[in-house]
Amino acid sequence: MNVLFTWLDWLWVGAFLLLMIGSGVLFYRLGKRSQSDFFLAGRGLPWWLPASSVYATHTATDTPMWITGVIYKYGLAGIWYTFFSAWAAISAFVSTRIFRRSLAYTQAEWNVVRFTGLGAEMLRGWMAGWQVFMNMFVLGWVGIAMGKVCAFLFGWPLWVGLVSFSSGCAIYVLAAGYWGVVMADFQQGVIAFLVIMIVSIWGIMVAGGPTGIVEKLIILGETDRMNPFAFTGWWTGEFPAAWFVTMMVIAILGGFGMGTSIDWYPEAQRIQSARTVRDSTYSIWWGTLVGLVRNSVWAIAILGFFVLFPGMTETSEYEMGWFRLGFDYLPVGMVGFFFAAILAIHLSTISSHLNLGALYATRDLYQHYWNPEASERTLVWVGRWSTLILLLGSFVYGLMMENITEWLIFALWIMTAGIWLPNILQVVWWRFNAWGYLSAWIANLGFSWLVVWVLPEFGVIPDLADYQQFWLLMLLGACVFIPTTFLTKPESMDHLVKYYVQARPLGWWGPVRREAERRGLIQEDSPKPPKVV
Amino acid sequence: MPLIRRTWTAAEADKWTREDWFVIVLSPICYFALTLGVALSFLLIWEGFAITAVSIVLVVWMHWIIDPKLKAISEEYEKNQQEYLRELEDAVRWKQHEQAAP
Repeated sequence: MNVLFTWLDWLWVGAFLLLMIGSGVLFYRLGKRSQSDFFLAGRGLPWWLPASSVYATHTATDTPMWITGVIYKYGLAGIWYTFFSAWAAISAFVSTRIFRRSLAYTQAEWNVVRFTGLGAEMLRGWMAGWQVFMNMFVLGWVGIAMGKVCAFLFGWPLWVGLVSFSSGCAIYVLAAGYWGVVMADFQQGVIAFLVIMIVSIWGIMVAGGPTGIVEKLIILGETDRMNPFAFTGWWTGEFPAAWFVTMMVIAILGGFGMGTSIDWYPEAQRIQSARTVRDSTYSIWWGTLVGLVRNSVWAIAILGFFVLFPGMTETSEYEMGWFRLGFDYLPVGMVGFFFAAILAIHLSTISSHLNLGALYATRDLYQHYWNPEASERTLVWVGRWSTLILLLGSFVYGLMMENITEWLIFALWIMTAGIWLPNILQVVWWRFNAWGYLSAWIANLGFSWLVVWVLPEFGVIPDLADYQQFWLLMLLGACVFIPTTFLTKPESMDHLVKYYVQARPLGWWGPVRREAERRGLIQEDSPKPPKVV
Repeated sequence: MPLIRRTWTAAEADKWTREDWFVIVLSPICYFALTLGVALSFLLIWEGFAITAVSIVLVVWMHWIIDPKLKAISEEYEKNQQEYLRELEDAVRWKQHEQAAP
């Protein structure tokens, strides 16, 4: 499909690119002041700015494709696949508060605030390296999705869409760092939300309006698609209720931990950029809520697409459904506006991951391990060079993506399945130590490989459903990290008391709290009368 | 003593209390109900409007419960933030921080 753009369409696109890049560059002077400014906007943002960034960052070019895929396949029940972001429901009031009080720039840095000694340093190095890799990977993934959209619309080679728009975005990230990211994200978030609403409502009307969609689903014999709880059984089928329950547990209880979702890592940066604990809480809560509401509207538009084009079987065909609603049905002159919104969606994700990857490279690798005495000016320049390297690396990843996607989805699964529980325990249980957490990561690498690929391949175990894999990996991991924790020493009480007084974690922290009270560092729960000797 | 407390000293607000647990329960319910409610409303199904209306009330109630506590935590914490930041910078530069008197 090649879309014909009129001069008005190109005008929308040009004006929009100028606005985005220009507004980012405007904050050049603020971004270059210090490392804190280049990566956290000086920790001074009111809640609605990081909230808009949370929303904009998690609306990527591939998001409508993915959501269209699950809704087209499972009907309205597919909306629960998008509910993973609900980890923020509890996190906003628990782990967000605790993390903001730690003041760590990154999750890798938090490891040395929470743990101590060699184990903590190993964790920091590992997590920083992993995050640099992951951000480069996400940039490649999202970048090539833009390449596909441009190929779909204009017939361009894949690399053109990948390279051109990511490079344009890099201009304001290099110039102004996180200041540029968050200011552009605000505009991009507003534009993207409005256009998603307009196109989705337009698509719903084209499909006959809400009542028309319902009537056509009845005629097609597909009424189950309107039922958000139409699963394929309790335990069997492609979408059993057991998987729904597992997803709810992962998402909702995951909010007690840090890193239970891959979205935690960009959110951690937004949490620290908010000016107070209260601002960080509201930024995460409201930014995520807007994303969930958007998903609901998207879902109905995709039901509209389904009644217009039922019976598609190829994922690559139906996952472009929402884009088709816009490009096929919007009036002339509005198509460019729609494409400009797609650019907004794209640039917000690219800019966030460029800056986030550079943060880990600069703060956790360069400064902490290589040049601890680096000046603020040097750190800002290292941040810029890291941004550039990430950008170039993402082009390589993007062009390789067709061949390595399966591997990388496996890598994402590794991050969430077996270490979900340790990610919670590190926050809520004082006795959990760096060696326990490290052993969980290492064990999970091996167990994931065995459970997902090797053992089913050799017929030792059957192919397991997603929910079975999750619970099995969690159980196997616990058999390693719980003994490791008890067989190694707890973190030093001095370190734990310092962390407790600063961060005030929730959960099983009794011995540490009592020690902090004994030292007179915090107020006792029930003050006892002084002993008379 | 009222069920929901709305005035806090900084030291009291630092502790995890009943108000936090109310919000920990309410917040996922709000997300779940709004996701469901908005989707059904866009299909003009009346249950969707009802669920959305209830969840908006829950959102307002949740903020009414937790906002005074968050304000108290934030105000007090900002006073200590500079000292904590100095310790963090020392740690990243591999410097031993001199223990400040509590």
